[in-house]
Formats: sequence, structure tokens, C-alpha cells
Amino acid sequence: MKAYARMLPWFLVLSFILTACGGAQTTSSTQVAVSETPVEPQSNAGKEAILRVGWASEPDTMNPLTSYSSESLEVTSLIYDKLLGYDLNFKTQPELAQEFNYSEDGLTIIYKLREGVKWQDGQDFSAEDAAYTFNLIKDNELGQYAQWLSNMVSAIAEDPTTFVVTFDKPQAFNPGLAIPILPKHIWESMSAEEIETFPNDKPIGTGPYKFVDWQVGTTLTIERYDEFWGDKPAADKIVYILYGNEDVMAQALKSGDIDIITEVPPTIWDGLADAKNVKAVSLPSFSFHHIGINVSEDENSPGNPLLKDKAVRQALSYALDRNQLVEVALAGHGKPGDSILPIGITDWYLKIPADKQMNANPEKAQQILEEAGYKDANGDGIREDAAGNPLEFRLIAIETTSVDVRAAQLFRDSAAAVGIKLDLQTLDENTLGELVYNVDNPDWDIFVWGWDSGVVDPNYMLGVPLCDQIGGNNDIFYCNEEYDALYEKQATTIDVAARKELVNQMQLMFYDDAAYLVMWYQDKLQAYRTDTWSGWTEIPGGLIYNLTRENYLRITPVK
Amino acid sequence: MFRLEFIIKKIGQVIVTLFGVATFNFLLFRILPGDPIRLLARAGRLSSEAIERLRVVFGLDKPLPVQYLIYLTNLWRGEFGTSMTYRRPVVDILSERISNTLLLLAAATVIVVVIGVGAGMIAAARRGTKLDRSLVVTSLVFWSLPTFWTGLILVIILGVYLKSFPISGISTPGMDFNSWFSKAWDIGKHLTLPTITLAIVDMGQFMLITRSTLVDVLTEDYILTAKAKGLPFKKILWRHGVPNALLPIITTTALYVSLVIGGAIQVETIFSWPGMGRLMYDAVLRRDYPILEASFLLFAATMILANFLSDLSFSN
Repeated sequence: MKAYARMLPWFLVLSFILTACGGAQTTSSTQVAVSETPVEPQSNAGKEAILRVGWASEPDTMNPLTSYSSESLEVTSLIYDKLLGYDLNFKTQPELAQEFNYSEDGLTIIYKLREGVKWQDGQDFSAEDAAYTFNLIKDNELGQYAQWLSNMVSAIAEDPTTFVVTFDKPQAFNPGLAIPILPKHIWESMSAEEIETFPNDKPIGTGPYKFVDWQVGTTLTIERYDEFWGDKPAADKIVYILYGNEDVMAQALKSGDIDIITEVPPTIWDGLADAKNVKAVSLPSFSFHHIGINVSEDENSPGNPLLKDKAVRQALSYALDRNQLVEVALAGHGKPGDSILPIGITDWYLKIPADKQMNANPEKAQQILEEAGYKDANGDGIREDAAGNPLEFRLIAIETTSVDVRAAQLFRDSAAAVGIKLDLQTLDENTLGELVYNVDNPDWDIFVWGWDSGVVDPNYMLGVPLCDQIGGNNDIFYCNEEYDALYEKQATTIDVAARKELVNQMQLMFYDDAAYLVMWYQDKLQAYRTDTWSGWTEIPGGLIYNLTRENYLRITPVK
Repeated sequence: MFRLEFIIKKIGQVIVTLFGVATFNFLLFRILPGDPIRLLARAGRLSSEAIERLRVVFGLDKPLPVQYLIYLTNLWRGEFGTSMTYRRPVVDILSERISNTLLLLAAATVIVVVIGVGAGMIAAARRGTKLDRSLVVTSLVFWSLPTFWTGLILVIILGVYLKSFPISGISTPGMDFNSWFSKAWDIGKHLTLPTITLAIVDMGQFMLITRSTLVDVLTEDYILTAKAKGLPFKKILWRHGVPNALLPIITTTALYVSLVIGGAIQVETIFSWPGMGRLMYDAVLRRDYPILEASFLLFAATMILANFLSDLSFSN
């Protein structure tokens, strides 16, 4: 009895600690309110208009030439200007170049640059900076921008406001839309190797926002650059806040800790649809997920040679029910896929005509296989060719991309229904990437993966299945000289209508070859608070995280 | 003399183990399928020259034995290389993160040990009572809670509904602090939910281990002797019971320091705590060899050191 009494204080302490964790809510919430006011440095600090963006992964580096993450692009595109940009309708608009002209032969682009633009460190901007940037990227094949300058012959600053770029072929895509202009006075002392490991911790650009700081693992802050050449945006600061978990990020939006979130999966988006003061938007994107088929012509390719038969690939395409994939795997947040150009690239995307559509038609799939001589002779439910080789293929998907795994399962069932057996295996993305891109030994048959188009121009996506991209980005070893010739032609056709004709032809041709079965164009699912900032324009590609930065510049605080 | 010999022998073992771990780390990540440059190349549509230069910059162009020798020499000099993702020195990246993880782990470990051991002692002293039974059941329930789930429940209840504590990050974004105290207060508030999550899940095992050891000790003959001498129960417990039950608790604590890292990775993910967890998770996905090698070595070294210290405490 006495012992119990002696232990009592212990127990009281313990229960106090436990209840303090749970029981102190009412007091601590007032403490929060009290403690936050006095720590603000100045009295006017409360009036600062801050846009708080929640994202679920971080930038890799602030160096645009070594960065590959969309988060990094999102921030650097507000810090650095390009020569040209996209407006909210994805029409070209001036950034550092007020206007541009093509020469008669289409080989030269002459950019007329703004006067009086200053770098964020106070130095003057001139055409020298643009020339330096273009030459640096071209000469050293630096980063993802090098692809736009592969035909560049020279880039010259004729005078401080005239920048002349010459190519050996006419360029349908204006590289001024893609390349961020870097300050020569900061970058020129570095070699290409040094630039590869240059973190660019304090980026200096000419854009509407300047870098403040990046607390790695938590927040990244940029603030308005008051000497910016264009209209001043309303947000004094933009703070990007990292969330380790998308559920928590959605909760933070609901509770008002953040104003907008970059992207969430369908299940979480549905939970936000009826939240108070929150608007959830579902917008067409520049991305798709696809089934890729190994069509390598290499004799030593370990891929199943039966897939080189177009009839088999078309049968797979007919068997696949893309409407079901969208409904089941994407919970309806997307459109059934067809062309290799994402549906969000509205100016160039071609809806494949109904009579050419290969979708959700198992009877047609069976018919094609019958006609091509694939019959189930031994009665095991799997068709074989004349020599008795069964239509049995390996199917790989990325285990952490749950929509892909679900789609792969549905695809497996649809294929089984027409007599084709698929053996599904899931891998992590890096392993799948190494397997798929192994040029010497592509030991796989069919994969499920996806693409994002880096620009609203057909060049990027149409350029993936080119012969010379085998060993580069061509993930299916597709090689079709007719297709390559059309690509070359459209990439050098400056007249938009003529180019559109060629681009359509390519989309049809590639669709008919059925080496890519584009499953869907997923929607971009975002959400924002309606009681803090207004003026968001809903456009393909998303409110933010898009190829245009205009939404950031046009929003205004809610009074 | 014997003690010195013992310590020297132990230190020798520590060095050999560390060398083994370093070698294993090097091989493990390179044997894993997946190439750190390949996905970069896909995302950026790099030319073959650009890919080749990246391999040279990160030393991946050399044969494996040469890479291994370079790796060992660099380790000896204390150089951990440059991250392939962030393009910054690994030492800078790790030093930013490790202190945050240590803060979280220290807070959780103190709470876990104090409450777990305390509750275990109470239960053992009151063995067979309702209090004992309810403590055991509570511990078992807590122990079997999944960390991730517990964290999310706390986020929803304490963070979203009651708004008692912030649910993410280490401090309030965009806040300038006018004093050391207000900054510490802010960090403390952010630290609360992750610490509770870790503590709830882990204190159960400490309670159960303490209880069972102490119950064993309390049935020993020398306790009976003590009782026979007429000592009060409090004295028996503190002078004869607890000291003898401490050894397994120290071992458990040493092991806990290494085991808690797994839980910490999950907790850091839920609460966006800028520690090692998220960094390592991303590094595995991206095959960022320098970060992986350095952080695994660091954790292995921590574990080895913790065991070394617990060995030393036994040698008395």
C-alpha cells in the first residue's frame, strides 16, 4: 500500500506528460496566436503579400544547365528571363526580346532586345549575355537546352540590343522560347566541367523575382525584383513549402497554411473537391502514359521477335480498352490516348479519326490475329504462330507508379481475352530505365511508362522515336526512315499551316505502327484557396507548374 | 591492463567493421541495377557527349576497381564527393540534414526511455494488478501501431482539427525571429508531433523490456534476502532491483539508436522534417551514389559506436 503511494508521484508525472501532449490544445492554440505576432520584425510586415505554394518534391539545383526537375524549372523561370515566352494562350510573347525576325532563307533569327534591362546584381544586361549563353550551351552540349541548338552555326551580339543567331537549317521551333539567358559576368570564368558541378546557390537573373534563400528540405523563397522591366507582379514574395507527403499537403491547403498546391493524385484531389474556400481544378496536361513495345530490328536483340509483326502490335492496340483505363486507373481524370502528341498541345494534337482508331475492339483484335495466322493450336488459350511460338510477352511497369501498375493489370487481362499472354513484373524506375535503354542488350518486350513534353511544340515528342535517337531517348528502338524524313521536313518548315500538315501525317503514321500504345492523357490536378489570391486563369498544363509563368504575374490578393 | 587491452581490441574491431561497411556500401549501390546518369539523360534529352562528360565528372567512366581505390583514398582524406543530383558537396548537404535528424532522435529517445522505463518499473512493482495489466496492454497496442498511420492520425486530430501544432517543416515559413528564444519555441512546436509519433510507437517496447527484466530480478533470491532483512520495498527496488535490471535496458537503448532511424525516415516523410530520411529516400531512387555511400556509412558508424559504448559499459 505504501509502495503504491510512493509510486504515485511518478505516475502523476507520467500522466501529466501524456495529457500535456493531448490536453493542452486549447491553451496552446492561443499561445500560437500570441507568440507569432511579436516575432514579426516590423509593424508593416503583416501587409506583405506572400503567395505560399505547396509542393511534394524539391528542386535539384538552381543551375538551369544541370537541373532536370520541374521544381527547379518552376523557380528559375521566374528568376531568369528567356528571349521569348508564352502567354496564357501559348502564343509567343516578348520577354528579353521585344521582337524577332527571320531572314529570307529562314536560316537566321534576328532578335531585337530591350534596352535598360538590369541584372538583379545591378549590372547591365546586353546582347553579349544572350550570345554567351547560346554559345556556352552549343559548344559544350550543356544540359537539356542543347537539343534546341543542335543546328546552330553562330550566335553573335551585333550591338547591345541586336542578337543574331544563324542555323544550318531553318528552325520551325524558335529556341528563344526555351533557353534561359544567363549573366555572362558571373558564368564566364567557369569551364564546362565546373559548370556541371556548380550549384548556383545565389542565382542572378533579369526576371520578375529574385532569389532570397533555399532552406534545403523545407522552404524556398523568392521576392519581387523591383527593377524588373515588365509590370510588377502583386506578390511581394513567393514561398515554396516542401511536404513529404501529399495527404499532409492537402490538409495544409484545407487549413490555410498554403495558397496553392502544385499537383496531387486523383484520390487526394477528390477529397479537396468540396473543401471550404478551396477550388480544385482538373486541367488537360502535356503528358501521357504509354505502353512501349520493343521493335528493335537488331538481330541480337533479346526482345521477342513476334512483336516486330505489326499485326501483333495492332491486335494489342485493339484489345486495349483505353476508356476503361481512364475510368479505373485514373478515376476518370484524363482522356483516352491516341496520338504521340499530348492533348494539352491543342494547336498540334491530332485526334485520330474514328475509322482509324484502334481501341477497345477485341473482336477486331481476334480477326487480325486469325488473318495473320496466329491460332491456338494446342488449346491452352494462347495463340501461336505457324512454327508454334506462343504469343507470350514480358510486361514491365514501375512499381511506385500505382496508376501504371493498375493499367498493366488491365492490359494483361484484355490481352488474355484475345489469346495473348503477358507476364507482368514491376521494377523501380531506375531499374526499368536501365533495362529499357540498354542498347546492346534490350532484354524486355513491353513496358508501361510516361512522357512529359518539355515544350508546347511538336518537336520534342515527335523527336523521340527517331532512328538517331536509338541510344538516346528512343525507348522502343523504333526506326522508320519515312518518319524520320517527315520529321526533318516539319522541323525546318516555318510556315505553320504547312508544318501542321506534316505533323498530322507523322501522328497518323506512328499511331498506325502501334509501337506506342498511348493509354491516356492524364489531367493535371491542382487546387488553390479562393480566399487569399484571385485571378488564376485555368489553362492547359495547369495554373502553375506550366510552361508559362503568366499566372504568377497576374494574380492579386483577395481584399 | 586488461581493460586497456580490451579497449584496444574493441577499437580494432570497430575499424575493421567500418572498413567492411565502406566496401559493402560501395559495392551494394553499384551492383543494384540502375544507372544514375541514364534517367538524367532521358529527362534532359542529353547528347552522348554530354552523357560522357557527366560520367567523367563523377568518375563513373573508370573501371570498378579504380573507382573503389579512389573512393577509399577520398574517404581516408574525409572527402565524400559531390552529389549527382544537387551538384553540391555531400558534406554540406549531410551536415544540414544530420543535425535535424539528431534533434528529432534525441527528443524521441529521451521521451521513449524516460516514459518507457518509468512505466515498466511501475508495472513491475505493481505486478499482477489492474494497473500492470493496463500498462502492458497499452504498450502492446502502441508497439503494434504503424508509424505512418499514427503520424497521419496525429496530423488530422492535433494539426488540422484542433490546430494545436504545426503539421510540417521545422519552422514557420517566412518568419523572422527576433530572439533566440522565439526561434527555439517555434522549432519546439514543430518538433512536437513528430516526436510524439516516434515516442508512442517505440516506448511500448521499453516498457515491456523493463518490466520483464525487473520482474525477473525481483524474484531473485537476493531480493528475498533483502525482504527478509526487513528493507522497505522502495529501497529494495532502487538499491537491488533497478541496478540489476539496467543492463538489458542499456543494450536496448544502444540498439534503439540504430533501429529508430527506420522509424525516423517515415516520420520525417509525414511531417516534412528536413532530416536524413527524405534525403536518403530520394537518393536511392536517383542512385545518387555519393550521398548514399556517405549517409549509409554515417549510420553504420553511429550504430557501431553505440554498440562500442554499450560494450565498454559492460566491461566494468
